[in-house]
Amino acid sequence: MPMVTAATPGSTSGTLRVPNPPSRRPAGRSADGKDFIALQGVGKTYANGRIALRDVDLAIPEGDFVFLVGPSGAGKTTLIRLLIRDETASKGQVLLDGRDLARLKRRDVPRIRRQIGTVFQDFKLLPTKSVRDNVAFALEVTGTPGRQIRPAVERVLRVVGLRDQASQLPSQLSGGEQQRTAIARALVHDPRLFIADEPTGNLDPLISWEIIQLLLRINEMGVTVLMATHNAEVVTALRKRVVALEDGRIVRDEIGAAYHRED
Amino acid sequence: MFAFIAFSLRRAWQGFWRNGLMSLAAMATMVLMLVLLSGLILMLAGLDATINYVGQKVQVVAYIKDSAPKTDVDRIQLVLQEMPQVTQVNYVSKAQALASFQERQPGGAALIDTLPSNPLPASLEINLRDPSDYLEVANYLRAQTVSVDSVQDLKVTVGQMIAVANVLRTGGVAVLVVVCLTVLFIIMNTIRLAVMARAEEIEIMRLVGASDAFIRWPFIFEGALVGLFGAFITIALLWVVQAPLTNFMSDFFNVLPVQASVLVGRDVALVVLGTGVGIGILGSFLSVRSYLIR
Repeated sequence: MPMVTAATPGSTSGTLRVPNPPSRRPAGRSADGKDFIALQGVGKTYANGRIALRDVDLAIPEGDFVFLVGPSGAGKTTLIRLLIRDETASKGQVLLDGRDLARLKRRDVPRIRRQIGTVFQDFKLLPTKSVRDNVAFALEVTGTPGRQIRPAVERVLRVVGLRDQASQLPSQLSGGEQQRTAIARALVHDPRLFIADEPTGNLDPLISWEIIQLLLRINEMGVTVLMATHNAEVVTALRKRVVALEDGRIVRDEIGAAYHRED
Repeated sequence: MFAFIAFSLRRAWQGFWRNGLMSLAAMATMVLMLVLLSGLILMLAGLDATINYVGQKVQVVAYIKDSAPKTDVDRIQLVLQEMPQVTQVNYVSKAQALASFQERQPGGAALIDTLPSNPLPASLEINLRDPSDYLEVANYLRAQTVSVDSVQDLKVTVGQMIAVANVLRTGGVAVLVVVCLTVLFIIMNTIRLAVMARAEEIEIMRLVGASDAFIRWPFIFEGALVGLFGAFITIALLWVVQAPLTNFMSDFFNVLPVQASVLVGRDVALVVLGTGVGIGILGSFLSVRSYLIR
């Protein structure tokens, strides 16, 4: 499992596991040669009859960085909810690391979610808890023994650069700092997949770039990153893989692409 | 495991105080139900005590003819003593009957003296194990026409008392079931509100991969806490009213040996505690299940 460490990768502190750089694997392939994320003929119809996804095929190798773009209501959020197993597909299969998410036992769902870090436009921080406690909460509620929590929290706060603000409440932070808190919380379980749903939607352009830089660094550490966004400037500048959804279908899937179609 | 229990208890405690008003409302309803419950237990216990008391007094009394041969009376007494329904048989001679009459009615002694002979019959007083066995014993006695003059009829009285007791018992339990269900729904609602108040936290817990147990158990402990506090308040209330209640009961029933202090003892406390905590847990469990499990 890839490991997110502080800015000093050579650190050999006893509590840190050895980082597992992506270069150990053939680029873009998981150990067993299958795609890390694979959607095969996926359709999703909600109970109210709304069709959110139609016949979606998507393969994402481990360590990839993918932008998910498209107008509101195109199915981006549904796709993300399928990946974190908040919903199950009505048709087709959603495979994460070779496992069919729809056939997962109920008690295995939380274990899968610990391998996925998620951040959202609205940060989802607990207003009565400090930055440190917000991050620690993710470990507490998954039964991590108390003495392991503190070092793990300090480590991810170092990664996102919030050590000095650790005792502050979310209301005392700027938007960018709040999103970095959410990112720290998402990292604290050492996820293999990092999903960001409009992470810069509430942030000004300069702060947005800081958040994107952080996501890129997380990706460099070997974590697969999937980011849904409307931020055309960022997508076009970074020239990463772009998957465009429209009306529940994938209408474009290009590597090194811009936000808008360029032909 | 330890981390889990500590976490759940801490969260339950926080949740209980955070929704102070709702917890208070649920607790008040819980106390109301538990007071009703203990009231019913007290009432039924009093009733049982009454029936037992009267039951012990239930004697079949057979009046013996003056002409009865002594041997026949001895034989009847022996047969009665052998009957499994009978606990005790007393032979009361004419002289003894007169003595006890004079004792009860001192003024009557002069009256008796004016009579040429003792008018009171000898009798057999038979104590029964169970009032409902009355008929079998009475029938046997009625058949002994040589010696037995008449048998006192207690059947109707005893039958009516048992019927009343059964109606009260069934009615009381029915009322209690309705009250229990009401409390259950109120607890469910309270916990549901607590769950909704923390919908954001629960969403985050799910996102970061908390297992169902970590989400569910704090609420179940919170329900148990409502039950526990409700039970303590009820027991304290019962303890406070037990002295006046005993006085009232002994005034009201006069002769009956019903003591509230005995009834508001360990057993009632345990029942109150068990019911309170049980309903608290059940209510939370059902509420969290219907809200969380999707």
